[in-house]
Amino acid sequence: MKKIEAIIKPFKLDDVKEALSEIGIYGMTVTEVNGYGRQKGHKEIYRGAEYVVDFVPKIKLEIVVTDDRLDETVETIRSATNSGKIGDGKIFVLPVEGAIRVRTGESGDDAI
Amino acid sequence: MDSPEAKLLIEQKQELIDQYLQGKESNFLEKMTTRLDEYFYRVFEKSIAARKMVISGSPFAIIALGGYGRKEQCIHSDIDLLILFDKAIPPDVEAFVQELLYPLWDARFEVGYAVRSINECIKMSFERFDILTTVLDARFICGASLIYSEFMEKFRQQLAAKHLKPTLNYLYENGEKRLEDFGDSSYLVSPDLKSGFGGLRDYHTLLWYAKIKSNIKTRRDLEYYGFLSHFEYDHLEDALTYIWDVRNRLHYISNRKSDTLHFEHQAEVAGLMDYADTEGAPQVEVFLGELHEKMDFLKQIYRITFEDIVSTCRVKNETVTPRPTKTEGLVVKKRRLCFANTVTIMQHPDLLLRIFLESGQTRIPLSIEARRVASEFRHLVDEALRTDPACVKIFKRILGMSLWKFNVLNVMLSTGILARFIPEFAPLVHKIQYNQYHLFPVDKHSIRCVQILNSFKDPGDTIMGTLYNSVFKEIRNKNVLLVAGLLHDIGKADPAKEHSRRGARIAGPVVERLGFSPVEKEDILFLIEKHLFLAKTATRRDIYDEETAVYTAHKIGKIRLLRMLFLLTVADSKATGPKAWNEWTENLIKDLFFKTMSIIKTGELASKKTQRLIDKKKKEVLNLLRESWREEEVTRQLSAMSRRYLLYVPPQNIVDHINLFRNLGDREYIWQITKENKSDMRTVSICGKDKPGFYSKLAGVFFQNNIDIVGSQAYFLGDRHFLDIFNVRPPQDRLFEKEKWEKAGQDLSMALEDDHYLDNVLEKIPTEVTISSGSRPEENQVRIDNETSSFFTIIEVLTYDFPGLLFAITNTLYRSGINVNVAMVATKVDQVIDVFYVRDIEGDQKIESEEKLNQIKNAIINRLPQIQSKEVINEKN
Repeated sequence: MKKIEAIIKPFKLDDVKEALSEIGIYGMTVTEVNGYGRQKGHKEIYRGAEYVVDFVPKIKLEIVVTDDRLDETVETIRSATNSGKIGDGKIFVLPVEGAIRVRTGESGDDAI
Repeated sequence: MDSPEAKLLIEQKQELIDQYLQGKESNFLEKMTTRLDEYFYRVFEKSIAARKMVISGSPFAIIALGGYGRKEQCIHSDIDLLILFDKAIPPDVEAFVQELLYPLWDARFEVGYAVRSINECIKMSFERFDILTTVLDARFICGASLIYSEFMEKFRQQLAAKHLKPTLNYLYENGEKRLEDFGDSSYLVSPDLKSGFGGLRDYHTLLWYAKIKSNIKTRRDLEYYGFLSHFEYDHLEDALTYIWDVRNRLHYISNRKSDTLHFEHQAEVAGLMDYADTEGAPQVEVFLGELHEKMDFLKQIYRITFEDIVSTCRVKNETVTPRPTKTEGLVVKKRRLCFANTVTIMQHPDLLLRIFLESGQTRIPLSIEARRVASEFRHLVDEALRTDPACVKIFKRILGMSLWKFNVLNVMLSTGILARFIPEFAPLVHKIQYNQYHLFPVDKHSIRCVQILNSFKDPGDTIMGTLYNSVFKEIRNKNVLLVAGLLHDIGKADPAKEHSRRGARIAGPVVERLGFSPVEKEDILFLIEKHLFLAKTATRRDIYDEETAVYTAHKIGKIRLLRMLFLLTVADSKATGPKAWNEWTENLIKDLFFKTMSIIKTGELASKKTQRLIDKKKKEVLNLLRESWREEEVTRQLSAMSRRYLLYVPPQNIVDHINLFRNLGDREYIWQITKENKSDMRTVSICGKDKPGFYSKLAGVFFQNNIDIVGSQAYFLGDRHFLDIFNVRPPQDRLFEKEKWEKAGQDLSMALEDDHYLDNVLEKIPTEVTISSGSRPEENQVRIDNETSSFFTIIEVLTYDFPGLLFAITNTLYRSGINVNVAMVATKVDQVIDVFYVRDIEGDQKIESEEKLNQIKNAIINRLPQIQSKEVINEKN
């Protein structure tokens, strides 16, 4: 089991959701996050006052998949978010020790 | 093993629940109370321990407190008991308490109990207000009734003698604190049926207040003692029955004492309440709408109490004689605004509006009576009044007075006057949207929106507050914005989608009635129709792409509209709830606002003129390509192209470029060299995949091959491709021109392969340039403009022409980690103005650091040759 954490541009969320549902992945956790990497914050000036944006707004997706679905899922996210530009985001893959569905008590791959 | 008494209680309760849920038992609360009372009679009768205590001279009373005292037992309500002794508490009491409580515990009731003497209990009541309020609800169950009456008498005496003010103060402060802790429940996604504002506690407070003031015994007395009108009492009964019904079902579903109606329980409760889906509105929305209406009523009743408490506690020696106000027909009594008499209202129905204006101006709230009267006379607000210019003017002024602390518009809504003045608003009242996004019913949401818009008058102490304030100050006609704020969701009366467009249609006649000019009307309807546009664009498009801002600027068109739309978007989102508004969303919308603003201000890319020009060009290009291309293919191609490109490149050239682009295939670049008709110039058009440094390498290769650049333009073509155009003088050796170009092509390929291929060419750039003009030469200048565009740093270089000039500048930029996205290079005789729109290669955004900007400036200056004129040389000689 692996957990995929993808940091993407906000406007790409719908594309990713659609692409993932096409390969049969419907469940994910979505969080609005702020961050910066090579793409930094910036400032704007309005009526003489400076307005600084320290961070770049991004979306974080978290999806847990079985090992055999990992590559397909990662590739789907990547191709849905890739515009060739800086700020397209990053995808992290983490090992998952276990999973339990609260309602039924099912565990392991069945719980996903 | 459960005792027989416990079994009996469980059975009785279950039977009652079954009957209740089947609709056969309507008065669950009282019936449950009676069953419990009967239980206590039985135990008291049978108890040997009780008899012993009585015989040994320690009689006592069993008293119900709190909700049980009020006979309001819901399914999982707890039981508050007081075992009251006259004086000393005998040790035997423990055995009795066990007899009394064990069966209740076995039957899974939650019981709170206290064993006290009269004096002890009175002392504690006045020390702790939470005890005091339960004592206010005390009800005798069984035992020595004399002890109960003695206790109550003493309690009342002391209350009246020295504890009246602090107790009333407590009620007041507790209400404030409750609002802070629980929030306005009637507005929450998960309302708290008991402690929230609009919850049952509001009614309790009214009851306690009446009990303190007039020693009333039951709820019914609220009307008899004049605390409520007959109409209000009826409403109260109705609201309480409803909320108790909801609470009971919630207890049943969650199987515990739970007062928060969580989102996930709402649909199930609605089902149990026998709601059916009606056309367009799901059952849960109808249910929540009704619940909200009831809670809203409790809240209003609470306000009445609250005002009375405040005036009882705080106002001293206020004269009872009414004081006149600036408005004839309105007076101030006990610091509350009232109608002088009802006859004047009949003669001057505009008073029904004026009272809100007066209230807003003087910050004196309407008296309860005035609210009642306004509500009962609201039918007088008719078509004649709605279109009366004086009344319209009053209404607009009221809009501007809707503020957080004192929102006169809310009072106007609750009295029904608002929905009379704008009948189109009526369907929004108590209209609920069942999701976790919308906290407020549509009517309250709209008023909050107006309120938030008004709050922009004050910058507050946050940076964003300053921004909203400075934008707000720039809006000339604030009424346009406020009316748009009030009416933006008016299309939601109808459950179908697309409420924005429908809203604009419904609002049309309203805006006309309110006497706005055609231009103002157009603005208001635009704002209503587009009120979701900015928020949608900010979250669904790439705001770091200039095209997004250009698109937004084009849709909005005018700075005036952008400012208003921005504030409306902020107010609308803030008024919706935390899911719609947080720092994250705020950042996105603010950014889009700034970027769009600079695009509109510059006017270059999004003005109407630009749009007309681009549309015309697109048509021409379509015409020119009709024969060889399919129309939709051309349209797709054109829509991917950047506006700047479409704006500055002539249609025939666009056609050439589209053909060029089609032939690009997988190659890194492709170029086409055309002869200009009359002059001896060549135009080189190069199309390729976007790659930092490409433009600089092109300039270098031309310099290397002695191809003299006269002018150049670089564009981003869209979809990760660029297009560069160079106007050049052909190589001097015309015989082998083709070969020369081939050589240049090879050099370019080498330069793309090897980043330092052109390094030796750099050395050929002159270090001194002598110009032939008569006057003193101007110094080289590099200007950096980092404000005009949100997307690019604009660098202007003013110098004199010399071989390799473009390469000198662009190579310097490239080596400083800067990519040229747009370039406009023009030579006039020997003077040159080169303009570059650049971005940082790392980060792909405009250059933010001052330090880096200075570095670049100096690097370019140092790279440019010294300029000398002939005269200067002569002087030296």
